[in-house]
Amino acid sequence: MKMIVTRPQYDITTKYLSVWAGEVINFAQKKKIEVIDLFKDKANKNDFTGRVKKLKPDIIFLNGHGNDDCVTGHDEEKLVEAGDNYDILRDAITYALSCNSGKILGPKVAENNEATYIGYKDKFIFVADSNYSTRPQDDPRAKPFMEASNQVMISLLKGNRAGEASEKSKNKFKEHFMKLSSSQADPDSLQAAQCLWWNMRNQVCLGNLDAELK
Amino acid sequence: MAEYKNTKKILSDDEVRKLVMARLSVLSKDTMISLGSEGSFTRDELIKSVENGDNIGEKLAEIQLEWLRSFKERVAV
Repeated sequence: MKMIVTRPQYDITTKYLSVWAGEVINFAQKKKIEVIDLFKDKANKNDFTGRVKKLKPDIIFLNGHGNDDCVTGHDEEKLVEAGDNYDILRDAITYALSCNSGKILGPKVAENNEATYIGYKDKFIFVADSNYSTRPQDDPRAKPFMEASNQVMISLLKGNRAGEASEKSKNKFKEHFMKLSSSQADPDSLQAAQCLWWNMRNQVCLGNLDAELK
Repeated sequence: MAEYKNTKKILSDDEVRKLVMARLSVLSKDTMISLGSEGSFTRDELIKSVENGDNIGEKLAEIQLEWLRSFKERVAV
């Protein structure tokens, strides 16, 4: 089984996403899944397209910025776009941890009945502590966001169907939301709770909800 | 920014803005919020955005209102 991961890293947001995606990579490697890690400048359109076409991965994990019709790689180079190469995702389960791509790109990919696209139809927002920007993996404020997001991939890698994986992730967002929005919560926790709720509401699972890794 | 309505109340743009600024003003100084490709922002930068009514400020208002609506849903559950 093969998994392609894109992990651009050129600003604070992509640094957090790429570092926390490391947990998913470790989990996959323990399960003996072959991981192709397109890290930093390797997360470019040529490498990504070439690897997907050649290796035909079962699962694709995109981390980076995005908008309604695309997800980008290093230095905001468009990796996959609705009006261009979207069909390279047709044979895989894709999870895009990026903003907005669940709005146009996701539905375009999901026009193919076999494809699955999990993403966000609006901004993916997270709260962080500036004291941890050099070691995002230890940032307690970012942890609930990254854990809930990673739950999509962990569930898929455990063999759950795509629809179930998305539900488990949403439940994780909700679990953290409930904890942080308790009446004793401090203002920072309440702000984080709002953003967790936002992400949960905007995560979408499109196409073949029964797709699973075999 | 449009007026936000529910069945019983109407919140004006200005009221929403004040509500969001009040919430942001009590955050810790070291808190930052990542809003995707818009960037990562400190508390003071976020307050300025809401004051100016720019895209970031509007998004924060939207998040605040979505959260307020969540109470209604949770009561329904």
